[in-house]
Amino acid sequence: MAYHEGFYLFAFLPLALICYQIVAEKHRWKVLLVFSFIYFYLFSGNLVIYLIGSTILTHYAAIWISWIKMKYTQELSEVPKEQKSAIRKAGQKKQRMVLTAAVLTLLGTLAYLKYTNFFLENVNSLLASLNVDHSFAISKILVPIGISFYTLEQIGYIADVYWDKIEPEKNLGKLALFFGFFPLVMEGPISSYETVSKSLFSGQKLRFENLKDGFLRIVWGLMKKMVVADRLYIIVDKIFTNYQDYSGVVIILGAICYTIQLYMEFSGCMDIVIGSGKLFGVELPENFKQPFFSKNAGEFWRRWHISLGTWFRTYIFYPVSVSSLVKKWNKFGNKKVGKNITRIVTSAFTLFPVWLCNGLWHGANWSYIFYGMYYFVILMIEVIVEPLTNKLTKKYNLDTLRIFKTWIIIFTGELFFRAESLPAGIAMFTSIFTDFIPENLGSISLGVGYADVFAIVLGCVIVGIVSTLKEKNVDIQAKVYSLKTPVRWAVYYALIFMIIILGAYGTGYQPVDLIYAGF
Amino acid sequence: MEKLLEILEEIDDSIDYEAEKALIDDHLFDSFAVINLVSELEDAFDIQIEAREMVPTNFNSAEAMWEMIQRLQEN
Repeated sequence: MAYHEGFYLFAFLPLALICYQIVAEKHRWKVLLVFSFIYFYLFSGNLVIYLIGSTILTHYAAIWISWIKMKYTQELSEVPKEQKSAIRKAGQKKQRMVLTAAVLTLLGTLAYLKYTNFFLENVNSLLASLNVDHSFAISKILVPIGISFYTLEQIGYIADVYWDKIEPEKNLGKLALFFGFFPLVMEGPISSYETVSKSLFSGQKLRFENLKDGFLRIVWGLMKKMVVADRLYIIVDKIFTNYQDYSGVVIILGAICYTIQLYMEFSGCMDIVIGSGKLFGVELPENFKQPFFSKNAGEFWRRWHISLGTWFRTYIFYPVSVSSLVKKWNKFGNKKVGKNITRIVTSAFTLFPVWLCNGLWHGANWSYIFYGMYYFVILMIEVIVEPLTNKLTKKYNLDTLRIFKTWIIIFTGELFFRAESLPAGIAMFTSIFTDFIPENLGSISLGVGYADVFAIVLGCVIVGIVSTLKEKNVDIQAKVYSLKTPVRWAVYYALIFMIIILGAYGTGYQPVDLIYAGF
Repeated sequence: MEKLLEILEEIDDSIDYEAEKALIDDHLFDSFAVINLVSELEDAFDIQIEAREMVPTNFNSAEAMWEMIQRLQEN
């Protein structure tokens, strides 16, 4: 029952809306909680225990931290000034211990479920290469849906309580709803409690404006997913599975198609997710902001999977940046080796953990680790050449060239990201330079017909126009609403019929799972 | 406040710090400018800026930074 499937759209979601509306305002969040856990159970069955267990752990860890704060604040008010510093430090130490224990437990669970087999496989390979006659048994480990997403939310929540950004939620049920809210739980966006909780627990009645906004957003997301992404899937799957059969030019086509597929799929899913939240009046954070208009890789990551980037920046990048080691280096470097070298070394030190974690977060596979390291290297190059870039961009308008350069970076990254394995990715990338045969493009079979190509191009053109207008700060939704009634309804029907007529479903198409749900 | 404005102008003198309210949100300061700024502020005002303070609202304007500095000096 993924978000783009009929059962979710025509049964689960309407039923949730009806039940939500008919109960009293103060109980509405409970309806969302029940539906969220039913949704999770339908996907992961008994693995729901992981979500329940980690929610209970997070809840009590945050309450414990808050209790320590309260206890020491009271103690501080009762002691003379000279003792305050020692008491404050003792309080902080205890809070840090609870925080560390909770975060390690959450990360340990995630690591066990996602990385045990990857680790054992690599140990076995190492033992075999050393001619050691021993190997560890590898058994299938079932992973609950969305664990990579809700674990980050749980860590963020405890850290926010520790940092005094938020008060801990006293009601365990409400916290369980925040971590398990059904539109969010499978693919994010990775949300902060501060941003979402107010509208999530408000229990506001269904409003026509919200239903209209949510409906339009869902239809828009379905168009991206079913018309473009699921048709591109056929081409992408064929090229990446049989990459040995194709020349470099087809590999480039594959990388471009996969990047578009991933964007249409993930951002389309986010449209459905944000639209689903909107139906209930719940405001969820945006996850994409026209990423293909980025002028460099750094900007790309501020526009693509924004919630993941924000999480890494808040909970890894900044804590590392203000660690005593980095501060000491900054002071030393600025005095001894100059600002530029200091900036480069600081960047390397702070960006490395972020991009290692980014790669690992996507999954237990060397391709993903390579993907993280690829962006680390690209971003480091951008930091090194930044003085030159600044000089050039002040003199000349290089925007188009820079956007095109960023596309090449993105396509290359996604090639490795999608490749069946890291060696496959390397072979595919190498073939672009060693086996580039342009004349092959016309004679190859990619499993799609003219109708598929027409649907893909039409969908891309529409999304491209809308993205360009959004980039120019045009409020598309307001524009649509301001159209005269017949024209507005023509737009709605055009979108709906586009999905019905051009959507990749039914005979001849296999359902395509949501890519990010696999992470 | 004057000392703070001097530090900010050393980082980038093309910005009107008394008027600008979205240094971080509008990407006028990138992450590395903020890291550099943290070291400068710690030295100049004898404060400790920890991870909990690393939120856009604390660095979006000179006024917000000044409020943070005063709060940290009181602790």
